[in-house]
Parts: sequence; C-alpha cells; structure tokens
Amino acid sequence: MTESPDELARRFRAAIPDTDGESCPPAQDFWAAAAGELPFERVSVLVDHGAGCAPCAQAWSILADVRRAAAEGSEHPALLQPRSGHAPPRRARWARPLLPLALSGALATGVWLMLRPAPPGAPPVERGTTAPVVRAQSPTVQPAGEAVLRWSEVPAASSYNVTVLTPDLVVVHQALGLSASELRLPAAVTQRAAGSGLLWNVDAVLEDGRTVASPTFEVQLK
Amino acid sequence: MARTRGGGNGPQDADPESIARIRQVLIRAVERHCPPTLAAHREDLVQIALVRLLERPADEEIASRGASYLWRVAYTVVIDEIRRSSRQQRQAEQLARGEGGTPGPEARSEILDCIAALQDRRRTAVTLHLQGFRVGEVAAALGWTAKQAENLVYRGLADLRICLEGGDT
Repeated sequence: MTESPDELARRFRAAIPDTDGESCPPAQDFWAAAAGELPFERVSVLVDHGAGCAPCAQAWSILADVRRAAAEGSEHPALLQPRSGHAPPRRARWARPLLPLALSGALATGVWLMLRPAPPGAPPVERGTTAPVVRAQSPTVQPAGEAVLRWSEVPAASSYNVTVLTPDLVVVHQALGLSASELRLPAAVTQRAAGSGLLWNVDAVLEDGRTVASPTFEVQLK
Repeated sequence: MARTRGGGNGPQDADPESIARIRQVLIRAVERHCPPTLAAHREDLVQIALVRLLERPADEEIASRGASYLWRVAYTVVIDEIRRSSRQQRQAEQLARGEGGTPGPEARSEILDCIAALQDRRRTAVTLHLQGFRVGEVAAALGWTAKQAENLVYRGLADLRICLEGGDT
C-alpha cells in the first residue's frame, strides 16, 4: 500500500546532494549526538545537515552501524548510553547516605503544601483547562475478523484521522475525516495482521484546524 | 612514525582483537554506505584510518577510557579519512573536466522537500531513522523515551508518505 521504510530510506539517500564537504561538522559531533550528549537543538542541526550533504549522510549511516556493533560487543553497554545532557547526573558518593533523608523531607514538604489551609483572603485561582487527551477504549486483544478501534471523544473535534501500522512501521491503513470515534478495520488489514499486532494512533482535528495527537496504541489480533 | 607498542597509555595498547573487530565493522559499513568509487577502496581507507589511530600520541588515553571510546575514535578517524579521500577524488574529477569551485546548486528532490516540511521533532526522528537508526537509538540520541521516539518516527513517516502522495503534512 505504501513504501516500506527501507524503500523510503533508499529514496532518501539517493536524493541527498553531494557537497564539497567544506562546511561539514566534525565527525565527533555526530558521535556525541548519537550518544545523547548534545541538546535536541544541536542534534537537530546536525541531522538536518546530513539530509542535505551526501558525505555526512554516509557518516550518519556508518555511525548507526558502528554504534550498534560497539553496543553488541561491549561488556558494558551503559558506556554507550547518554552520558550528559539528557542523562540524570551521577550522584556523588557522599550524597548517597543522605538520599533517604532528602526524599523524606521532599515528601513531607509535598504533603504540607497539599494539605495546608488556604490563607485567609486569598483570591480564588482559576485553573487552565486541561488539554484534551485521546485514549484507547477498545480492547487490546481482539478477534481478527471483527476488530474495531475505539477511542475517547475529543469535545471540540470535528473529525478524526486514524493511521494503522505494522510493528515495523509500515502504514497498512489510513482513515481520514471520520466523524465517529471508532474504526472497523478492513478485512484486508485484519487478514494481513491476524495472529500478530498492529499499532494505531488518532489525530483529532479540532474545529479551528488544530489537531490533538493520541499516543501510540497497540492491538493484538487473534 | 614507527612507535614502540605496549610502552605507554596510548591507543597502541588497545586489544588487538578489538582493533580487528572494529576494522571488520568499519570495512563493512564503508562498503554498505559509501558510493562505489569509495567503497572499492574500503580496506585501504579503513587501514589508513586505523594506522592514524594507532599513531596518535599516548595522551589520548584511549586504553584507559575503554572499548567504547576506542570505537568512537575509530569512527571519527575513518570519517575524516573518507572525507579526505572524497575531496581528493572530487578535485581530480574537476581537474579532469576543467572545472573549478564547488558543486553547483542541486535540484531539490520531492522527498527532501517533504522531509524539510515535517514538524521539527518528527523531521529529526524520521531523518535519523532513514539514516539507519532504530527507534531505540533515535530515543537515545534525542533524550526521549522509546515510546516517544516510536510515536514521532512513525507519525513522521506517515506525514512523509502523505506528502509524497501529494497531500500536505
């Protein structure tokens, strides 16, 4: 029905223009990015550069292979995990005995903040409305012949778009502009996925054109 | 340039088995991802890169920083070598054709335009995925949970397909 990720990847790589390589970032930046050592904004710049520079695209692809091989061969896979930036900082040894005390203090403070009486004369606080959320409401295991995907309604939604994919991210079905908050999977899709799982998600389209994206849901077809 | 092996803290102390494994992986990766003109010289490219790695001064502390650091340095030296070799090839081709300067502007392709139009997080996730990164690896690079990365990769792929079929993202 649609191009597989492999076909897209081939098409993508073939389209990347060659460059003179003069303004390419150093190779160690790519490694640092893949290792989770750089902030998203910096990684994004490096990734975008690779999408417009064939030599750097090759560097990214080689990096994927090399890091995977390194992880497979490493006795200490944690060495390949993020070390800074996104990773939680390592605690100093001296701090470890104090951790239970700190946690107890934080808990006590939290309880006090929740239960304390309102100060006299404090103005009422108007809380913002919570963002609409789309939740799956259909069973996660269903008979293949009659699988129906259901989700919670979003109050201001004018329609819903649903995407159904295989676990390896190939789109097998898309339904656009649904008015109801459910989708019966076509027989062709359920037959193809019988005995395995599918991933699905919903975009609720609001009246003002904005969309509310659901998380990824799974359904197993028996 | 010859150095005495085993006498210091430098990369020359690296485990020969590790070097052999790294060499094998790099050769295969160059073969898979580089254009045929470069891939044909994959063994030479990797060999030169590893020689450069082993000739690095002792203060590199590769041995003391472990196997993952050795992989990291090996990757950077081989990419540097590929870039150097590509530049030389390009210059030779330009001289042969009597051209000068840098490559001219390339015609934009549909798929690159569609990727460029993706929302930031989806674009980064999808581009990494198309470069060969698995969902878990995308998550590690971008500091996301595996679930977040999976969601952004396949939403981005879905947007990309819609764009390629003529719709908007």
